[in-house]
Amino acid sequence: MAKAIKQIRRIEVTEEEKRANDLREIEDALLENKDALLETLQVVGGMKERGILSLLNGLFGEGDRVLKVLVDLLNQPENTAALKNMLLLVGTMGNINVKELEPLLLKINSGIENVAEHGEDTKKTGYLDLLRTLKDPEVNRSLTILITFLKGMGKDTENEGQLKD
Amino acid sequence: MQGSIQVVINGKSVAVSKEQSVLQALNEQNLDLPSVCYHPSLGAIETCDTCMVEVNGEIVRGCSTTLSNGDNINSTASHVKQAQDIAMDRILYNHELYCTVCDYNNGTCEVHNTVKEMKKNHQSIPFEAKPESVDNSNPWYRYDPDQCILCGRCVEACQDVQVTETLTIDWERERPRVIWDNDVDINESSCVSCGHCSTVCPCNAMMEKGMEGETGFLTGIQQDTLRPMIELTKNVETGYDSILAISDMESAMRENEIKKTKTVCTYCGVGCSFDVWTKGRDILKVEPQVEAPANGISTCVKGKFGWDYVNSEERLTKPLIREGDTFREAEWDEALKLISSKFTEVKEDHGANALSFISSSKCTNEESYLMQKLGRSIIGTNNIDNCSRYCQTPATVGLFRTVGHGGDAGSIKDIEMSELVIVIGSNTSESHPVLSTRVKSSHKLHGQKLIVSDLRKHEMAERSDLFIRPSSGTDLIWLSAVTKYIIDQGWADEAFLKYRVNGLDDYIASLDQYTMSYASEVTGIDEAELIRIAEMIHEAKTTVALWAMGVTQHSGGADTSTAISNLLLVTGNYGKPGTGAYPLRGHNNVQGASDFGSMPDKMPGYENVMDEKVRDKYEKAWGTPLPQEPGLNNHEMVEHIHEGKLKAMYLKGEDMGIVDSNMNHVHKAFEKLDFFVVQDLFLTKTAEFADVVLPASPSLEKEGTFTNTERRFQRLYQALEPLGDSKPDWQIIMEIANEMGAGWDYSHPSEIMAEAVQLADMFAGVSYDRLEGYNSQQWPVAADGTDSPLLFEDEFPFPDGKARLFPVEWTQPLQYDDEYDLHINNGRLLEHFHEGNMTYKNKGIKSKTPSTFVEVSPELADERGLTDGTLVRLTSPYGAVKIKCLVTDRVQGKEVYIPLNDTDDAAVNLLTSSRADKDTDTPVYKEVKAKMEILKDRGTSPLPKVNHRYGNPQPQKGVMVERKWARKDYIFPGDMVTKEANSYGKSH
Repeated sequence: MAKAIKQIRRIEVTEEEKRANDLREIEDALLENKDALLETLQVVGGMKERGILSLLNGLFGEGDRVLKVLVDLLNQPENTAALKNMLLLVGTMGNINVKELEPLLLKINSGIENVAEHGEDTKKTGYLDLLRTLKDPEVNRSLTILITFLKGMGKDTENEGQLKD
Repeated sequence: MQGSIQVVINGKSVAVSKEQSVLQALNEQNLDLPSVCYHPSLGAIETCDTCMVEVNGEIVRGCSTTLSNGDNINSTASHVKQAQDIAMDRILYNHELYCTVCDYNNGTCEVHNTVKEMKKNHQSIPFEAKPESVDNSNPWYRYDPDQCILCGRCVEACQDVQVTETLTIDWERERPRVIWDNDVDINESSCVSCGHCSTVCPCNAMMEKGMEGETGFLTGIQQDTLRPMIELTKNVETGYDSILAISDMESAMRENEIKKTKTVCTYCGVGCSFDVWTKGRDILKVEPQVEAPANGISTCVKGKFGWDYVNSEERLTKPLIREGDTFREAEWDEALKLISSKFTEVKEDHGANALSFISSSKCTNEESYLMQKLGRSIIGTNNIDNCSRYCQTPATVGLFRTVGHGGDAGSIKDIEMSELVIVIGSNTSESHPVLSTRVKSSHKLHGQKLIVSDLRKHEMAERSDLFIRPSSGTDLIWLSAVTKYIIDQGWADEAFLKYRVNGLDDYIASLDQYTMSYASEVTGIDEAELIRIAEMIHEAKTTVALWAMGVTQHSGGADTSTAISNLLLVTGNYGKPGTGAYPLRGHNNVQGASDFGSMPDKMPGYENVMDEKVRDKYEKAWGTPLPQEPGLNNHEMVEHIHEGKLKAMYLKGEDMGIVDSNMNHVHKAFEKLDFFVVQDLFLTKTAEFADVVLPASPSLEKEGTFTNTERRFQRLYQALEPLGDSKPDWQIIMEIANEMGAGWDYSHPSEIMAEAVQLADMFAGVSYDRLEGYNSQQWPVAADGTDSPLLFEDEFPFPDGKARLFPVEWTQPLQYDDEYDLHINNGRLLEHFHEGNMTYKNKGIKSKTPSTFVEVSPELADERGLTDGTLVRLTSPYGAVKIKCLVTDRVQGKEVYIPLNDTDDAAVNLLTSSRADKDTDTPVYKEVKAKMEILKDRGTSPLPKVNHRYGNPQPQKGVMVERKWARKDYIFPGDMVTKEANSYGKSH
């Protein structure tokens, strides 16, 4: 006669057995990953030396609070603007046509060189001097470039930018 | 290309398939067209307007515009793009983009993907929150109005696919939103939590709660940090590109953490398949797939949300061995040795037939195969059966008699397309929820007719065109009378009968007594209604019959099943699409458990154990002699235990002590067994009687195949590791066999299947390769893999290829003394499975349906002074239950209904008898009468107010987008670009 029963006697794993099992598991894992672990330990050692560990410790220990502070900080209008500018600049850089810019940059460089050479001149330039310099082919070429640039700059770029609002 | 038309797409002339929308044609050509609200299973919803496209110079919705020959389509012109852009802006006005910290950022978000695809960088109308907050009231899913883009997919799914008709969009309010019933909290509505809405939602508005805070790397962040973080991302953004790039990276990283595994549901015979998302042992969600053959995007509450039991604390994780009045946990080695020695001892002392084996209709085909192989080949007995004996064997017999295959005649698609559906003794929308949605939907949208015969006015009855309530157990009479009337009127399918059916004359002679007046007198149905049934069958080009336990669990269960099949034969309703007999299988593998030989008289593939040639085949393959005489079915096993002839039993995956009828009698039998092994997930009532209890692994922890009610093989893959020391059933059976010296060496279920299909011709071409992923095969399967979605197209599996009309007579149901004045009907509830061992482990289900109850009619309540919560004792000649009342007009008069989900004082099988169907020994669960006494007048209702049965559905067709278009602030985006208007309409 086997009556219905509900009681279950569990296999009691003693603290010691459990500990022994866990240790064996860890030991196995250690041996399996020997090389990786040794290398990791070196890295960790380096981090300890330079105080990175305690830094991370604090960060992880108070993860949510740190994250909140960080997010709140970034969420300040000026920081948001900074982040935004950064992202915008990155985007803008991508739009600059370096190939076409190169000759212009060379010219600017040569202009800078010239200033470096003669910039300290205290000599004043009068109106007539100015008109005369227009005849100088080098100056004339510069002016033409500048005027072309100004023309381009004045064009409607409404539909090209990323920032609309 | 046949069936194709010539059109011009973006200046290029191409041929596209006929009768498709612009959207489909563009997709066919691999061209993109935004389509946020479109879903392949729901069709064109027309709410989002993102699929703006120009056809012959006019801007239209691509999803709902059908192409004609010569059409000129432009999907790339700038004004077309501008119109699409306007539509997308309206969506983003309703949906805040914070993808990286969104749980839905898993690569499938339509909003995210469309923003990316449209290369959209900014929105013209800023997001603005809606006035209401998140509705978290439902246990399993939430609705966040602020994320809802009002695409209406959820409403379409609820109204037209699931047809529970709970969801609508209130288009008229200032800020439209989805509402439940007449605008109540989700948990107080008629929502049955089938999960369709969260499955089809294109974003995170309607989301499974299992996903919340679990899915992403950053989504688990505390709310007070999350909010500023969302603000930050929004403020910093210079355009959506960078945001989307980061969220795409994050989404890719998630795939490393989240495992998506295809599995097959175990909660009924429909055979829904879907992906289950797991992270460690946590189940994040169930994600149905469009390509799932039986269910597509559909699920019920159990399949979508009912998997908590796999992680239940109560799961068995070690074998248990009885020691005095307690079980002791043991290691496998000890348990297997004990079982082996006890089995051997019983066999030596009393012969092989003193042992018996019961397989489970919840386990896989491979496990059913191994169980019968163990019984037959290793022990040497045919005493092997499965629990379909409790439900569906009479239907199988009825079909074997008439059409030769014991399974559904076609597929769920045939039921869906049929002109007339006759439901007999089946509470389809609760017992086979997803299958019922196909009937409800065809009936609601496509003019399908529905006849229901049942005692109880359940949902299918409410929806039917004709509902009859015949006296219990008299279906055979009205079925025969209707058949006779059809023949007498000359409405029979003469050609079909002449060329495809035998036995007409004898059959017609047998119908003599079934006149309309006799039928009306015995069944209590008006003659006019019976004639109406005959007319409806006559008027319909195609008819299917669905039936279940209301037919089979009677004294004449097999005969009534036969009568149904006779009616279909007489009217030519076999072998054509949209016709046939559909005995709805109750459990996931009722079909497969029998298919693979867990039957006392049949080997796998329904070959007879008495047939020497068959035995010879198996003896050669298995290398052991096999028993020659049919064994005991499980009903007979109980009697043989009582008679002292059966000494040992090995039972898996079945709480027989609760689900067999007359459970007191069954419990006494268990007590008499010398040795009893039970294999299950939990310490069930049955397991409490065991000498050894073996911990098994459920479907999510193993591989194998199930065969659904459509005869469809589907593979399940392993999502989780077996819990603790539990093991898949096939491994346990193999280990027992090997302990007894069998030497089996299956390393994977596919090897078991390969062996089985070599032996059972019916499944010759079934293979794991052909069943890869969502592929499936419906038996019979030829060696080359050709399967049979529709049976009997050319012939019936009899020697001359013809079906047989099989005369049957009515058997009077079990009679009771007058003092037992209440008829006890019983069956399932939508939200619980069987006795509830699995579903009560789900907190949500428990909160909505904490216990069983007895439904009593308002008349009976008046007469006896019953209210919701009155505690009564019902007593039959076999036992008694203590149970609380629920007053409802689903039942009438002295008819009461008890859902079978209880394993204690209210278990309905305390009342049932050991009487059975005369042909199959299926217990007559439905022939019970009892008397009632009141134990406590007043009490709390057994059904909390958060149960969907109190809801107030709002039927309508689809999302009713016309109401959106009628709003004053709605302008069709196509009109705005042609008019060059500057103001952007804001409405949603």
